[in-house]
Amino acid sequence: MSTSDAITDVRTRMLGNDVSFSVSQPWLAYWLVVMRLVGGWWMLHAGLDKVANWPFDASWFVGGAAAGTSLGPLVTPFSGGLGLAFTNVAVPIGQVLIGLGLVLGGLTRTAAFFGAFMMTFFYFINGETGGWAHGLVTGELLGILIFGMIATIGAGRVLGVDAYLARTDLFRNHPRLQYLIG
Amino acid sequence: MSELTTADRIAMYGGGGLVLIGVVGIGVLEMLLGSPHPVSGEGQIVHEALVPLEMRSYVILLGFLIWGLYAVYKVAASPPRRGTGTGRGVGTGGDD
Repeated sequence: MSTSDAITDVRTRMLGNDVSFSVSQPWLAYWLVVMRLVGGWWMLHAGLDKVANWPFDASWFVGGAAAGTSLGPLVTPFSGGLGLAFTNVAVPIGQVLIGLGLVLGGLTRTAAFFGAFMMTFFYFINGETGGWAHGLVTGELLGILIFGMIATIGAGRVLGVDAYLARTDLFRNHPRLQYLIG
Repeated sequence: MSELTTADRIAMYGGGGLVLIGVVGIGVLEMLLGSPHPVSGEGQIVHEALVPLEMRSYVILLGFLIWGLYAVYKVAASPPRRGTGTGRGVGTGGDD
């Protein structure tokens, strides 16, 4: 069992240079789970808030704010009819599922990927609509980076459901599915 | 010593490079060569941008797109290798 100063060596190459450094094992696990819980609660709270105040109407965002932004052509088709009906359900439910996945550590990489995906829309549309008046480094950008880091490194096996899922026959027999958990 | 694949390099240097250029690189240019950045009473930064903000958005967005495509490619292209964080115990049938 690792002591608090147990380290693991990372040895790789970057930009043509030998990059080797040591990481504290317990602190690596600690920060992974802290990021997962805080990022997860961020999304879970946003989703539950919308569900609690149902019905949710995203038309101001997909129809109004998004128009004229760089992601507008992708978003404005969802501003009416079936597209809007889908968005009004997909955003709250998506946020709840992403949040639950991260908080519980279940399908962690999948949840983090879609968290970054959803946050990308919030980042550009909110930023461009507001003229980037608070700079380009916003909470949404940091969210994208944190979700990206969780999706890359995986954190679901630290006190998470993925530790169990990884031992099931389904995930053992289908290695590619391992990319979906953390 | 782990080696990077071509896809890894494109994602790391291409995707990450564009995000860093858009956020940090152009930000430094704006600080050094752009107009002053007065902060309003509401905490808003109002100034004329040296590099159009729309162009800056597209640079960052392209970086995110490369990262996202890499993630999809990674899942589709190959199963994780044993001995890595994702592939721990894969196919061994034994205890981790």
